Amino acid sequence: MKPRLLWLQGVTCNGNTHSFLNYPHLSYLLETFEFLYHPILPSTYTLEEISTCEYECDILVFEGAYDPRMERVGMNLERVVHHYGNHAQYVIAAGSCASFGGMFKHTDPEHITGLGFDEKEPKGPFAHSTKLINLSGCPIHPEWMGYTLRMIADNKPIAIDELHRPKELYAYLAHHGCTRNEYFEWKVDSDHFGTKEGCLFYKQGCRGPMTHASCNKILWNDVSSKTRAGSPCFGCTEPDFPRTNMFETKTNMSIPQDVPVGISKRSYLTMAGIAKSFHIPRLEKRLIDDNA
Amino acid sequence: MITRKWIERIEGEASIGFEFEENKVSFASIAFPHFRGMEAILYSKPAMDALVITPRVCGICGHSHLFAAVRAIESVYANSGFRLEISPKAQGIRELTLSLELIQNHFKWLYLVIYPELSHLVKRPIADSFRLKGAYAASIATKVLAIFAGQWPHSSYMIPGGVTCDPTYVDTVRAMGLLDELIRWFEKEVIGISMEEYLSISSAKALSRASGDMRDIDKMLRTANMHKQGFSYDRYCVLGEHGFSKPAKFLNRRTAKVNAKLVTLENPYTVDEKTYAKNALYQNTSYETGPLARAMTNGVPFVKHLHRSFRDSTYTRVMARSYEIPLLLEHCKTLVHSLHLDEPSFIEPPKKITSLSGEGVGIVEAPRGPLMHKVTLNKGIIDNYTLITPTQWNLSCGSPQTPGPAQKAMIGADSIETATFTFRAFDVCSVCTTH
Repeated sequence: MKPRLLWLQGVTCNGNTHSFLNYPHLSYLLETFEFLYHPILPSTYTLEEISTCEYECDILVFEGAYDPRMERVGMNLERVVHHYGNHAQYVIAAGSCASFGGMFKHTDPEHITGLGFDEKEPKGPFAHSTKLINLSGCPIHPEWMGYTLRMIADNKPIAIDELHRPKELYAYLAHHGCTRNEYFEWKVDSDHFGTKEGCLFYKQGCRGPMTHASCNKILWNDVSSKTRAGSPCFGCTEPDFPRTNMFETKTNMSIPQDVPVGISKRSYLTMAGIAKSFHIPRLEKRLIDDNA
Repeated sequence: MITRKWIERIEGEASIGFEFEENKVSFASIAFPHFRGMEAILYSKPAMDALVITPRVCGICGHSHLFAAVRAIESVYANSGFRLEISPKAQGIRELTLSLELIQNHFKWLYLVIYPELSHLVKRPIADSFRLKGAYAASIATKVLAIFAGQWPHSSYMIPGGVTCDPTYVDTVRAMGLLDELIRWFEKEVIGISMEEYLSISSAKALSRASGDMRDIDKMLRTANMHKQGFSYDRYCVLGEHGFSKPAKFLNRRTAKVNAKLVTLENPYTVDEKTYAKNALYQNTSYETGPLARAMTNGVPFVKHLHRSFRDSTYTRVMARSYEIPLLLEHCKTLVHSLHLDEPSFIEPPKKITSLSGEGVGIVEAPRGPLMHKVTLNKGIIDNYTLITPTQWNLSCGSPQTPGPAQKAMIGADSIETATFTFRAFDVCSVCTTH
């Protein structure tokens, strides 16, 4: 019998569903799992049928922030999530809303959380549950979901970090593989948006060095990433997303308030001070002169 | 007696209350029960954060929200006496990625909604894998989009003054390659003839030259009598200005000017159901929006021809949306070809956003029609943000005396099933409607 997968939604924009549809190997997943219900893909049951709680699933995927008082097709979400989650072997939080509350925690911060976390504090119906896998990101990267489901199908263990995210996906930083890395190393900031050159960490609010995500390793839509397209990383895989003033770096006396994960401010400032003292004409010029 | 029915797979759910007279639908009320309070979330945030927050209104048309948000902020600049200069390159890239979002939307709607629902109606089952065609085609379109925007969904690459990306011709060559691939796929699978020939079709009869899935859809629509039902007001409104659309209304067989200031919101009609969707009206009157509206105001010969024979039936509505795919694919090719990459991507606004106060309106044509963002800034902080989405027009819930476009189209249907199909032909999006 195929493992039974159920995809439910809480308070959401459907962005994870649509990002997942970009997964290039969807047909493999449809052959491997029985989709009891998915908001778009062909499924065995309707949401109305699922909401009677007469079935069971092996994997519960949940998209959107969790509001226990919410009703979907006339049924209380708490009841439906409890029923299916308790029977499931794995509960996958798809996206940052389901993982930590995310964007739609802000709809009602007092009542809305993620499935197992309220930002970074354990809270919600699957707090401390060993079943819970958080695939944070706003939205989820389709390959991250594809990886997790295939690992489960192949019965392989998935090591997770303290926020229940698979280490193989989230041990990396969004900074890793960024095409602007050399500018970061030598502290050459980007004067303004719309250029290939310069690092977005100093002025434009880039959270790449503080954000656990493999966006620049496993590219988006197979072709690019925010930083490659000149946009700052907004740290959307972290529990504090969405922050405020996301296009600006918060600085104290022109020093970035947050420094790369696990690096002491002192080490960072020493390195940065030395790097900044050099004048490197190559990095101050346009990358391709004739195409300025 | 009211028969309530949950409509699923519409980016959320809606509840429709059907009333019957002599075995035909006499009235249908539409309720959207999910609400997220996007406008409240935006309140008191720095203006630029709207570029990150508003795409999250909707997973399928977030890019349109980004474009509307950036236009709204640029309009605050303009209203404060600082008309921002946007390079033709940045304008071209914005229009390209918007068009690609429309294309992915239409492909998904065609293969994941219309084709399966229609085959169910005419009792001609299809394989599950068939629906994945829609996901495949959409994923190629979003790949091209992501070359410029970094990712899809939820990019924030449009900013006041331009775009953040700085592409090379390596990128445009790649984009062109993928576009060609998508067009070839469209020709082979969807229409069975060359896109050029398909775009030269000007009558329903000539459609018989096409083969492919579109031919099936055409046949199934007729088998299901969709050319004889789904009639609405035959009044159309387009508000977004792009290469593929111009602001205009169309009624009584002619186009006329529109003024976005005459758009108003009213509370929905409800009996005993909770709904969060407000009705959008133009001069207190219901107008249909979306691809059919764009085709009527643009005078697209094929759609005009269908309209002459089948007015604003569900058939015409489905064909108009499907026909927008090749029109937009062609438009995308032209846009990529005409990009001059030596122009700047971004021109710094002459005034800091933190010193900006005033009001602005940003309007774009999203997949389902005009999308309006109205913003009031106080020293760069959002004091008020109002979203008016296209589905608030088409799916508005009026009283039995003044039904909205989709409500009116459902009246006269002989079953809940056919009425529901007519409803889905409007391309329903629950998340946008309530936001």
